[in-house]
Amino acid sequence: MTAVARPPGEAAPQGPGRGVAVLRALDDLDRVRVLAAASDRPDLAARLVQARFRLLSEDVPVAVVGEFKQGKSTLINALLRTDVCPVDSDIVTAVPTIVRYGVPPSVVAHPEPGDDVTEPTRIEVPFDRLRDYVTEAGDTGVRLRSVEVRLDRLLLRRGLSFIDTPGVGGLDSAQGNLTLGALPLARAALFVTDAGAELTAPELAFLTRTVERCPRVVCVVTKTDLHAEWRRIVELNRGHLARAGLSLSVVPVSSFLRLRASARGSASLNTESGFPRLLDLLRRDILAGAEATTVRATRQEITFAVTELRRQIGAERAVARHPEQEPVLVERLAEQTRRGQHLAERAASWQTALNDGTQDLGSDVDHDLRERLRGLLRRGEELLDKEDPKDNWRDFEAWAGKEAAAVAVDNLFTLVSRTEQLARDVADRFDLEYEGLDLDLPAPAAALAKVGVLDIRFERSSMRQFLGAFTAARLAYGGMFMAGAFGSLLGLTVAAPIGVAVGMTLGRKLVRDERERQLAYRRQQAKQELRRYVDEVGFVLGKDCRDAIRRTQRFLRDEFAARAALAERSSAQALTAVRQTATLPDDERARRADRLEEQWRDLGRVAERIEAV
Amino acid sequence: MTDELLRRVRGLLDRAYHELPDPAARQVLAAALRRLDEPLRVAIAGKLKAGKSTLLNAMVGEELAPTDAGECTRIVTWYRDGPSYQVLLHLVDGPPEQRPFDRVSGAVRVDLGRPVDEVAQLTVEVPSRRLREHTLIDTPGIASLSTEVSLRTQMFLAADEERVAEADAVVYLLRHMHGSDLRFLESFHGDELARGSPVNAVGVLSRADEIGDCRLDAMEVAARVADRYQSDERLRRLCPIVVPVAGLLGAAGATLREDEFQALATIAGSPLDDVLELLLTADRFVGPASAVPVDGPVRRRLLARLGLFGVRLSVQLIREGTVRDAGDLVRELSARSGLDRLREVLAAQFLGRARVLKARSALAALDTVVRSRRTDAGTAGLIAEAEEIRAGFHEFVEVGLLHLLRSGRLPGRPDQLAEMDRLLGGAGAAAADRLGLAADAVSGRLAAAAEAALARWQRVAEHPLSARELRTAARATVRSCEGILAGLPRSGPDPATR
Repeated sequence: MTAVARPPGEAAPQGPGRGVAVLRALDDLDRVRVLAAASDRPDLAARLVQARFRLLSEDVPVAVVGEFKQGKSTLINALLRTDVCPVDSDIVTAVPTIVRYGVPPSVVAHPEPGDDVTEPTRIEVPFDRLRDYVTEAGDTGVRLRSVEVRLDRLLLRRGLSFIDTPGVGGLDSAQGNLTLGALPLARAALFVTDAGAELTAPELAFLTRTVERCPRVVCVVTKTDLHAEWRRIVELNRGHLARAGLSLSVVPVSSFLRLRASARGSASLNTESGFPRLLDLLRRDILAGAEATTVRATRQEITFAVTELRRQIGAERAVARHPEQEPVLVERLAEQTRRGQHLAERAASWQTALNDGTQDLGSDVDHDLRERLRGLLRRGEELLDKEDPKDNWRDFEAWAGKEAAAVAVDNLFTLVSRTEQLARDVADRFDLEYEGLDLDLPAPAAALAKVGVLDIRFERSSMRQFLGAFTAARLAYGGMFMAGAFGSLLGLTVAAPIGVAVGMTLGRKLVRDERERQLAYRRQQAKQELRRYVDEVGFVLGKDCRDAIRRTQRFLRDEFAARAALAERSSAQALTAVRQTATLPDDERARRADRLEEQWRDLGRVAERIEAV
Repeated sequence: MTDELLRRVRGLLDRAYHELPDPAARQVLAAALRRLDEPLRVAIAGKLKAGKSTLLNAMVGEELAPTDAGECTRIVTWYRDGPSYQVLLHLVDGPPEQRPFDRVSGAVRVDLGRPVDEVAQLTVEVPSRRLREHTLIDTPGIASLSTEVSLRTQMFLAADEERVAEADAVVYLLRHMHGSDLRFLESFHGDELARGSPVNAVGVLSRADEIGDCRLDAMEVAARVADRYQSDERLRRLCPIVVPVAGLLGAAGATLREDEFQALATIAGSPLDDVLELLLTADRFVGPASAVPVDGPVRRRLLARLGLFGVRLSVQLIREGTVRDAGDLVRELSARSGLDRLREVLAAQFLGRARVLKARSALAALDTVVRSRRTDAGTAGLIAEAEEIRAGFHEFVEVGLLHLLRSGRLPGRPDQLAEMDRLLGGAGAAAADRLGLAADAVSGRLAAAAEAALARWQRVAEHPLSARELRTAARATVRSCEGILAGLPRSGPDPATR
């Protein structure tokens, strides 16, 4: 392995147990970076440094989801052998808690963004007060969006983090919808159900929707220490999952035994707790799977750099060996530079595709939102027509909140899938033009045929593949959780019962008429309030969507523009190099040719390794 | 007075039976008439694995309904008092037929002899004093993964335009669930509990022993949880009272045998370390080998009967000497199971009102019959009389008002409304219950309290600034006070003057 200096200001590869693939990718990355620096391409080198950083700081959030009181917080505690997540027989987790790696350990609360801009966006919380912030009994007077706990644990070091979610009360609850909405951000989910009962219909429905949104899901059956029949329950659950067409691992665990094992340092208790298997799944399946995705993205980045370097070094190498071909090469390179310039210009077809696509995306997503909100309004009005708002207003409020959350989540899902489509379209367009930059170089001289072995045809990965690393969800969501974003339906003052004076003076029929009039009035009031609420939801969501689309557009533009600039630079640099090398004295040019040959071989080796995967 | 109520209702139904020519209508009316003479029907409903069958066994005091770790009850099953043990199978179409059955460690296992979906319901007749008070109906779990099963329960509990609810009252089982506010009822509505009304539904926080991981304080925690549920305004509308019950404990308390006590005593008498090790997890407790000299199969049975909490609690009670023999343990277990409390609540909420609830169901049956035909002179007369019964009998008015009150539809101060609830018989129909006094209060104190209440509500009823609904309700409350006074041995104001 070539000794490679680590770029300054960067974290060392963290901890032991990084996957082999990561280490290899790091090695390749560093080699290509050195070559880029040697070829006077600090721009490419900088890009690779960024890729290196991304590879090492990759966060792998695992969402822990399930109904109330199934032992979600205890499960996280047991996994990490800690007592950081507050656990109580009665009180439940009310705020999503993220547990990730960090030294020194700390707790930070993120308040709900309010109207008051002077409010702090993060609050440092002492460990012993965490309970007050994340449980529903806590009364800190601050509405929180999430709480972040940083711990120094081996399991977390490789980038794994856990999100303790508030329990969902039935699939249809607002909280259930919000949890589903946040799932695309997680790389995996642990679905928690206890061994006291087999899966229920709402649980399975939630699980099905979880699987749709999250690539890796494990079903964890907790509290096996309390129920002698847990093996039966696990079997029953396996059957239910199989019938639903879900192939998930079902892992029975006892958090109680795991914590006891850790307190007594007993390996046999730990084995009995069932956690080794869960940890194995987390490491081998989830972490390795997530790492594989990141490594793939890194390889694509390396491939791109190799392609660019080959273009530059290849041209110079050709002229070093065949100086007589300089005019031809110069002509071709001039053409390539021109095309490269075009690629970076606003008129490039990928730019057009991006701009048009963004506009279409915006209007489609907006239409989708409007459609859904109209449906919500219609259903709400039908409900109000059926009953007296005075009797069921609070239930109605709950219903409206739940429906609004569902609208938000579905609309975001549309946004995310359409955004991914747009990104693919733009990438395809970019590819077409990028393709045109390829250059036929003179065949290597016969004398050098022996190295031709290394000159394998290098499959340039398409831009579309680079998008494997692109997660539209992260762009779309911006923040971490969108919990409770849209206020509530309040403000309805139910019309007072018929006043005293009226009651005394009016006859029976008049009272009845008056009652009906008041009911109609209440309904009208309630409908108005519903419309106002839907308007507000529409406003908040509409703004979120527009922001998300703008972020996406900016991201894609910057990304491809940067690539276009790099390609242009490669061509320009190649052109200069070709001209210079052609004018070199023979002996110097021969030395140059040797050096270039060496670099070329280096690139070839990296390319070969990447191809081999 | 109540017998008068039933007599009037019966008379009305009789009249309708003879006046209406339609055989379908007659069938409904005949059924309603029969039902008037039967015990009150109480359905036990809830999510799957909420412990419905276990609770049923505990309430009857006999292991009747089969229970299992997996989903078990798949057919609506009636348990009613009868001269001997027998099982009747009611088909979806076709006459009922008697089926053979056997009892596997007490539980009645029926040989259906046909696919489950052809069976509408089962009736198990058992000679039982408890079932003489009320028929119990075990229902399949709501939210079951076999939709068919959930559907059966919903069909059964639902009353609609064409059908009268088959149950007069519902005990709804909740497992430990949570929600700061909205989330809770949302999930509740997911269960479609909208069936019960606040006058004939009681909530049970079931499997209370498993709350808090079967630690010894489980029942106290459960009581806290139940209290919170009860103070949830919207839950109160569905069932105003929530009682924590550990069904396994209750069932075991009712049926514990001497050999089981001996096994528990042997465990309790073993060295502390061995006991702790044994009670650490359910797996260890039923494991084949143990330092404690009780056989594996015996331990397995103990756990199945008592649950981990029940075993831990029993061992603890025996060890600390609170319990000396099987009788003591039975008493302790029943007391701690919450079952006694549930019985009291049922007596106050359902049995005390049984006749009104039954009359309600009967009048509802008449309604469905009358509503489905054109209005003519004949039906108009029937409707008018039904109305008259509803308005004329004060118990009916009380139940109606309680309903209004508990649905939060009456204006008034919370303390005022709480008192009204009590006076209307919300906590029990006995005078002491209504007045909020101890059951053994002397009649002089009762009379004084009733007179004070009467005067207080009289003022509310006549106060010009009271809201109209409140004044109407207050007048009814005054009548309830008068009723209390009239019922006291030493007569109060003469009821004839009202």
